[in-house]
Amino acid sequence: MDLTYLFLGIVFTYLIGAVLSVVLHRNDRFVTYASFISSFIASVLGIIFSFSVMFGDTFVIDIPGSSILQFGVSIDKLSAFFIMVISITSLAVSIYSIGYMTEYFGKKDIGYLGFLFNMFILSMILVVSASNAVMFIIVWELMSVISYFLVIYEHEKPETRKAGLIYIIMTHVGTGFIILSFLIMASASGSFDFGSFQGIGGQLSPALKDMAFLFALLGFGTKAGIVPLHIWLPYAHPAAPSNVSALMSGVMIKTAIYMMVRVFFEFLGADVLWWGILLLVVACISSLLGVMYALMEHDIKRLLAYHSVENIGIILIGLSVSMIFMSAGQPELAAFGLIAGLYHLINHAMFKSLLFMGAGSIIFSTHTRDIESLGGLIKKMPWTAFFFLIGSISISALPPFNGFVSEWLTFHAQLLSTNLSNNLVTVLVLGSGAALALTSALAAACFVKAFGISFLALPRTEHAMNAKEVPKTMLAGMGILSFMCILLGILAFHVAGILDSVSAPIVGTGIASTITSGLTIGTVPSFAGSISTTWIALLLILFMPLPIILLRSGITSKYETWGCGQPFSTARNEYTATAFSKPIRKWLGNIYRPHREIHATYANSHFFKTSFKFESHIEEVFEQYLYEPFIELTLAVSRSFRVIQTGSIHAYLAYIFAVLVILLISIITGGI
Amino acid sequence: MGIMFGSELMESIIALIMVSTFMVLGSKQLHTSVSAFQFQSFLLACIAGIVAFSTGRIDIYIVAVLTLIIKAILIPYLFVYVIRELKVKREVELFINISPSLLIGGVLVVISYYLVRSIGNNSQLSSYALSTSMAMVLIGMFFMITRKKAISQMLGILIMENGLFLAAISLTYGMPLLVEVGIFFDILVGTLIMGVLIFRINTTFETIDTDRLTTLME
Repeated sequence: MDLTYLFLGIVFTYLIGAVLSVVLHRNDRFVTYASFISSFIASVLGIIFSFSVMFGDTFVIDIPGSSILQFGVSIDKLSAFFIMVISITSLAVSIYSIGYMTEYFGKKDIGYLGFLFNMFILSMILVVSASNAVMFIIVWELMSVISYFLVIYEHEKPETRKAGLIYIIMTHVGTGFIILSFLIMASASGSFDFGSFQGIGGQLSPALKDMAFLFALLGFGTKAGIVPLHIWLPYAHPAAPSNVSALMSGVMIKTAIYMMVRVFFEFLGADVLWWGILLLVVACISSLLGVMYALMEHDIKRLLAYHSVENIGIILIGLSVSMIFMSAGQPELAAFGLIAGLYHLINHAMFKSLLFMGAGSIIFSTHTRDIESLGGLIKKMPWTAFFFLIGSISISALPPFNGFVSEWLTFHAQLLSTNLSNNLVTVLVLGSGAALALTSALAAACFVKAFGISFLALPRTEHAMNAKEVPKTMLAGMGILSFMCILLGILAFHVAGILDSVSAPIVGTGIASTITSGLTIGTVPSFAGSISTTWIALLLILFMPLPIILLRSGITSKYETWGCGQPFSTARNEYTATAFSKPIRKWLGNIYRPHREIHATYANSHFFKTSFKFESHIEEVFEQYLYEPFIELTLAVSRSFRVIQTGSIHAYLAYIFAVLVILLISIITGGI
Repeated sequence: MGIMFGSELMESIIALIMVSTFMVLGSKQLHTSVSAFQFQSFLLACIAGIVAFSTGRIDIYIVAVLTLIIKAILIPYLFVYVIRELKVKREVELFINISPSLLIGGVLVVISYYLVRSIGNNSQLSSYALSTSMAMVLIGMFFMITRKKAISQMLGILIMENGLFLAAISLTYGMPLLVEVGIFFDILVGTLIMGVLIFRINTTFETIDTDRLTTLME
């Protein structure tokens, strides 16, 4: 019973936050405190709640209703895990927002954002706890619509409205597919209750089962942002305020992963081999293309958005490898893959939200998203730089931070495919390991660029020159997630155990005792590999001071950054982001299809150039070759329908009349 | 159904309503159309009166009186007023000439008779009334399509409404009084608004010829 009160407490605290935001919206400062402190309290309650469910039993509230519309909440360990991820992230983001919203004081209605913010988190929590397909669709749509309004918060900018439009179209198409998938499953189970969907795969004919899988993949894949359904991410994430993009990228797209686990494993049983393979291929393409496009971006939020595509790919690699093992009847290996995926999921939520908040801090104090016009921020904003660096290290998967652990687990899950009997599949999964390796390397390169160009060297513009450190609340928000990044890294042995308790009911077997021993984590079945981030961290702490102590005796002379000891160095001769990514742009030219244009105007002779303009951009392959032809086709079909749109009232009346009479005649002939 | 629908009187009134519908369709002058509509509404009020008399229900009496006042007096007066004020050309302008329209009207009546028979009905007379009302709805719509003046569209929709009224009163002794009063209110206000809109259309486009109002297309 206490849990019921706790859950209702979470729901009502968010609702109170939403109501207070509306009531107090005239006073910017009051409303900021009211709405974000409410969401903070609710997040704390959410963390307590999720932990008590994770170490206890499944929690169920049934709201009585008709047989079709049975609303209810059912929270098992998987849901609790997601509530935990949502709550930790929203806790940090709530604190961050108190400082961040001062940017909008006097310009925008803070109450409006506070209302949406609270409702958004609440809708996400309800999405992962819904126990019924109808209720799920309702809260899922609620989440989509609220996030749409959050995306277009700065609606006075035309590009924001465009981003919102792309987002809402994509997300609705996705919901359409989700409904189709649910209808297939409901037709077999005779009820919309998720409980009755359990193991429904066995009752469906193979063709329907495949369709349910494909529709679910398309529907949830749109929300998750898998290639080629990812096109809304690089528009929507930069357009939203940074605290919102932290939530959207950090947790909202994860709710799609939650349902993928539910549908693929629990409902459909994950016993078809090609499902796993298809998902694996999609995941590899997503992760590779995501990071490749991220490398070419100079807009820091678009860059992070593309990294979300990449990381969703990595999460799905774990998930798909797990599905392949499930179909091969190896639940222990499947558990390992699922743990890897879930581990990367929580990690990505932590570091991606952290990085988005870091990006928000940069925008807060420099008012630009273009990293080419930043530089030298580490001296102006040391703490932001420190937290951003932790996020960058985590996302680049360097030990002992959290990204390393989950990517290590994912690699090992892929290597374990040698246990499969089908050699072709083994080779394919091992090949995907290569793709993941390339992804991680490129991600590291990308964050060397993102961090180096924006924080190191000299300021390139006035924006960067006048930057100031952000308010303490913003630093606190980033600090919490930085701490979580480190904690999830060095406590890997403990986290793996918790994740095992989440995955055990899904795959049917727990492997906690095999993969963790003492402070180390290892692989099944026989410790083919093992690693301890805890020891790595301890060694680092021991040996890190060494070079500092040793170098202390040397003479330090002060020069300008990257000046090579030269006395004259300006920001104009610094390395730029474009230059940094040039080798990769040349190397992967087939994919990027870079265009470059050089315009030079000459004075009298060919040798005297008066001005010089250089332009370089890459093609948006998917938009150009996949979406644009589709849009063209739709428009062409619509245009052909315009023939009947004469604009004459009589013609429209005649249409109605003709249809009516035809229908009546058909009744007569059919009735007699 | 007993007394009232069995009577020859009812049958002949319904037949007269059908005739009045064709009068609206077949007249070349706007004024004649309006008078035909007035006649039709008066007949409807008579039917409502007979039904009220045979069932002895007060609310149907009220409906009968309202029909008489609103449909047979107020609305026709409004039409005449609009026609006079706008100096509309007295002749109706149409897409399909009078004689083919009358033929098509006949076909519509046949369709509605067959339709009602195929639905299968218990009482012979209420099926008689129902097919008449169905024909009125179809003819009213046909009237709207083929006439050019906005006033004719107004008239068409009122004929359709009369058809629905006939169907309601012949099948179920009319709708509940509250609904019925609501419908009357709707018609009256709707007619007023349409009248005002026709004035606006006239001042904006200098014609009430709906044939010319095709710029909504884009």
